Amino acid sequence: MGRVFLAPSLGFMALIALFPVFYAVGMSLYNIRGFQQEFIGGDNYVRALTDPNFWNAAKNTLVFTVASVSLEFVIGMAFALIMHQVFVGRGLTRAVILVPWVIPTAVAAQVWRYMFDHNPGFVNAVLGTEINWLRDPAWAMVGIISADVWKTAPFVALLLLAGLQTIPKDYYEAAKVDGANALQRFWLITLPLLRPAIVVALLFRTVDALRMFDFAYVFAGYSNSVATLSVYAQRFLVAEPQLGYANALSTVTFVIVMLVGLAFISRMGRHMVGDVARKEKR
Amino acid sequence: MPELPWHRRHSWRAGGAAAAALVLTLASACGEPPGEEPDAEGEPAGLAEDPQFVWAVTGADRQIHEDVARLWNENNPDQEVEVFFLAPTADEQRQAMFQDLQSQAGEFDVLGLDVIWTGEFADFGYIESLEDLRPEIEGVSLEGAVDSSQWQQELYALPYSSNGAFLYYRTDLIDEPPTTWDELYETGTAAAEEEGISAYVGQGDQYEGFVVNYLEMFWSAGGELFDDAQENSTFLEGDAAQTALDFMTEGQESGFFAEGFDSMVEDDARALFQAGEAVYMRNWPYAVPLLEGEEGEDSEVAGDFAVAPLPTFTGEGTTSALGGLNNAVSTLSENQDLAREFVLWAATDPEAQAVLAGHSLPPTMLSAYDEADDPNLELLGEILADAHARPPVPGYNSLSLVIQDNLHPAFLGQQDADSALEAVDNAAGDALEQD
Repeated sequence: MGRVFLAPSLGFMALIALFPVFYAVGMSLYNIRGFQQEFIGGDNYVRALTDPNFWNAAKNTLVFTVASVSLEFVIGMAFALIMHQVFVGRGLTRAVILVPWVIPTAVAAQVWRYMFDHNPGFVNAVLGTEINWLRDPAWAMVGIISADVWKTAPFVALLLLAGLQTIPKDYYEAAKVDGANALQRFWLITLPLLRPAIVVALLFRTVDALRMFDFAYVFAGYSNSVATLSVYAQRFLVAEPQLGYANALSTVTFVIVMLVGLAFISRMGRHMVGDVARKEKR
Repeated sequence: MPELPWHRRHSWRAGGAAAAALVLTLASACGEPPGEEPDAEGEPAGLAEDPQFVWAVTGADRQIHEDVARLWNENNPDQEVEVFFLAPTADEQRQAMFQDLQSQAGEFDVLGLDVIWTGEFADFGYIESLEDLRPEIEGVSLEGAVDSSQWQQELYALPYSSNGAFLYYRTDLIDEPPTTWDELYETGTAAAEEEGISAYVGQGDQYEGFVVNYLEMFWSAGGELFDDAQENSTFLEGDAAQTALDFMTEGQESGFFAEGFDSMVEDDARALFQAGEAVYMRNWPYAVPLLEGEEGEDSEVAGDFAVAPLPTFTGEGTTSALGGLNNAVSTLSENQDLAREFVLWAATDPEAQAVLAGHSLPPTMLSAYDEADDPNLELLGEILADAHARPPVPGYNSLSLVIQDNLHPAFLGQQDADSALEAVDNAAGDALEQD
């Protein structure tokens, strides 16, 4: 009976969420030039997989994702632990720490771009360096990653802080009585019990990082030096309009994001669900 | 009903474009490319009470296009035009027009196309042939502007506005403007050292402006991108490509280009020159009134600068890339006769073209320059007579991206010059192909 009642909303969800995806997949099988289109099967996918610029974009995306998510996690965790200790003005601290995350990414990216630019050259002036932040591919990536970490570490911190606050203090007190030092308490109590929050934070950040567009586009436009998969797909949607190929690229991006998301949920999530199930059995 | 398949294809494409956009939105964090002045774009200007057709044109230089439309509406009260202002950035303009056509919305009757888009729009079947109007503009409009309006010897647009490069120089530091790039290099370096300022500013960021700056040097070394029939790339014939790249690489290494040249766009260069921080500047004519301190601008160089044609490697003549807009008639327009009439009027009516000149936007009508009493406009007329149109081939935008992706790192010494030039040559060949 429940299924019958759920059916309309499920159907509606499928329509708005999945229909465009299938449409895009359908379009990716065509070669589209203006008003002409021709069915070419999987040629666009073959083209993508043999396109060095696609692999370059995939590599950029991977580097960005691994670097930014790990840094955000470490820094976010540190933030969370600090905020967890502070009691006076915690609300205000939290609000302040969230400010970078509230700024629209495109705006933040523009600000960071100006800071890295030669004129006025704020970052170089502060560091006393003469690095070409925007036009040297490796340094541009460093710039993008630092901008993203600045923007998103607070968000990770907030998620982890919420998790920290669900851990009963009794555990720590009991551990102290048993003679566990601070590191042991963190390793044996905090980390395992924080797992759900960690999984959520990592999942959100990884999926978000894999489809990152703003920072790369604002820093370097369609330049291959730091183009991510999203930027590369956008290039064929707008700058060199080839709708079929653009759809193939966005479908590939979509599949990668979905697979990584599913892998996360099934690997880390099942443990989590498993723990809960075991506890309930007891 | 014969229209049925057409309609079916229509919904398929409309849905497809939307689907692609949606998947991309899903796949891109939460952003769109940042646009400037979001309020100024994407809206009809409301100049007509009873508009009969729509002209889609860039939101940059808004006032100028408004004045042109107002002039038309005053003369044609029964056939008023509505101006639809697109975003000021080229990519977004193209996207908006593509969307209108690809989804078969057909809301735009007249399309204001950047001079490099004619081939692409024509090849896609988006714009009508205007070949029968050729006699009306030949000998009336700038030759380069007519070149940029055609694809495969067929006319698909009519010239509207033009643009050419000036060499700005400091009259307090330089006596005579140089005629060769080498002379420019030497005099610029000497004056810059003496004054403790930069020698040269221009458009060195990795974008279309860089391509323009490079191509001007390439052409001025005797290079051509394609053979006359537009069938083969001739980019690597002769040593023009190498000469131009060498000049840029050396300029970057030796500090001839101002610091930050590699991330400079038009206004960055203008700001430095205006602050008295550079000896030479390559820029469009729009900078003249600003540098003279008009329109409430602070200018350190007011009265101390002049404009000249860009130099060449041989010292003969000048070469500027040709900018500007051409107007085309959309294939989907239901008011094609009216649209054609308007496009022709904008190209050939002296009053309409005078509106452009009055706003320092270079007109395309030759007569506008003949009667010029402004020496800068007269000079611009001479420059535009020798200006080079970037080839309006269907793949121009791809070619431009390849130039940006390869020559820019090569000029910074991050990529091997030979392989960069090779990549551009291949891309030039690809840009001609229509599959």
